[in-house]
Amino acid sequence: MKLNTEFMRETFIASLGGVPKTFLITILTLLVSIPIAFSMALSKLENKNVSSKIVTGYVSLIRGTPIVLQILFIYSLLPSTLNYLIKDVFGLSYNIFKMNKIVYAIIVFSLNNIAVLTELFRSALGTVGHGQMEAAMTVGLSKRQAYARIIIPQALVAALPNLCNTVIGLIKNTSLAFLMAVQEITAISKMKAASGYYYIEAYLMIALIYIIVCTVVQLLFAVIEHQLSGYKKRLAV
Amino acid sequence: MHPFHPEYIITALLKIVPYVGITLLMMLGTVIFGGLIGILLARAKIKRRIIPRAIAEGYIYLTRCIPSIVMLFIVYYGIPFLLLQFGIDVNHFSKGVFVITAFSILFASNLGEVFRAAYLAVDPGQREAAVCSGLSEFQAFYRIVLPQAAVHALPNFSNMLVNLMKEGALAYSIGLIDVMGEGSLLIGMNQGSFSLEIYLAMAIIYWTLTLVIELIFGRLEKSLSKGRKHATSVA
Repeated sequence: MKLNTEFMRETFIASLGGVPKTFLITILTLLVSIPIAFSMALSKLENKNVSSKIVTGYVSLIRGTPIVLQILFIYSLLPSTLNYLIKDVFGLSYNIFKMNKIVYAIIVFSLNNIAVLTELFRSALGTVGHGQMEAAMTVGLSKRQAYARIIIPQALVAALPNLCNTVIGLIKNTSLAFLMAVQEITAISKMKAASGYYYIEAYLMIALIYIIVCTVVQLLFAVIEHQLSGYKKRLAV
Repeated sequence: MHPFHPEYIITALLKIVPYVGITLLMMLGTVIFGGLIGILLARAKIKRRIIPRAIAEGYIYLTRCIPSIVMLFIVYYGIPFLLLQFGIDVNHFSKGVFVITAFSILFASNLGEVFRAAYLAVDPGQREAAVCSGLSEFQAFYRIVLPQAAVHALPNFSNMLVNLMKEGALAYSIGLIDVMGEGSLLIGMNQGSFSLEIYLAMAIIYWTLTLVIELIFGRLEKSLSKGRKHATSVA
């Protein structure tokens, strides 16, 4: 018995077709979750009683349960609920079951990622000293300006290595989108594998693609980090 | 929409809770075997000899990029295939063996990094002082460095344990009957009619487990570092 190299080559090329979808899910998820997570981190830091308790509970719940469970739960809850809302509450005739499944993937991964990013932003904002905010207020910046110009740029540098980890974790999690019938890397090669029982070959190829994708992401972050820390060094000089 | 039966959550909880043991057993096996590989990885990275170090770095890099589900299937289909080449048939092995193998391979790198960070957190002066006062290298490690490193490792270790538990839920996809596996079996048996209630029951179990793990390690860290503070104040 030998590995079927011809099949491996075919699967590799076919699965590469799933890469744009993986990136699409990742990027849209980040776009949705970053602003929400940031405001949640702020409300947790400012310690407003009710909202910070809700945020803490949410983060604990999401971080305390497996993402498979979150995917299965939301995927079995959301479509029928939305259908009920649209048909019976608003009286529209839109067929929710025809909607692109990628939307559900983005909703689930955003809900999950918000919790992860909230903690990340909270610790990153914590690394910026209290004096920075006070100094910014003293020179007459508004709170919004102080965040945008003083606090966030510094926090971003501190957050970058963790952010890279989070993005890689997110990309790895998108491999579970096949549970929601989204045609990304894993789903495509799983289907090809099932047609000829070439499971090992297919999964090795998926692993290879994820290694390549993660390498690209890590290189990207290395470049960004280099540039941002260069800016920091110039400041120090 | 299905009608929602909150009381079924309790029924499902009672049915699933006995399988918590399987989940914990899977975690224990992974920590033991992954820990052994992790120790090797941490050693290779600390010792700074070029070849072992490069192998360790490469191993950590690759395992960090592979999603758990993919690793699970590579091991599940790959290892029987590989061993069959040598005439060994492992197809009748328990699914747990494959699950523990896959997660040991994956989490060895996390464990290795936990060990390494903990080891480096202990001041090198501690080892030097121990060796100076006549302890052997082995004794210095076991009696002086290891107990201090263990305290430093606790928070990261508890994080890793929670992650392992959550990723471990994927084991149901190759048919291991743990918390997640029993839950999806239940859903299948009910033809999907109580799926939301069963998912909620599983979420409660996993959340509780997470909170318990965090609580235990938080307590442990507090009580162990209390002694540390005392020692330094005496010194």
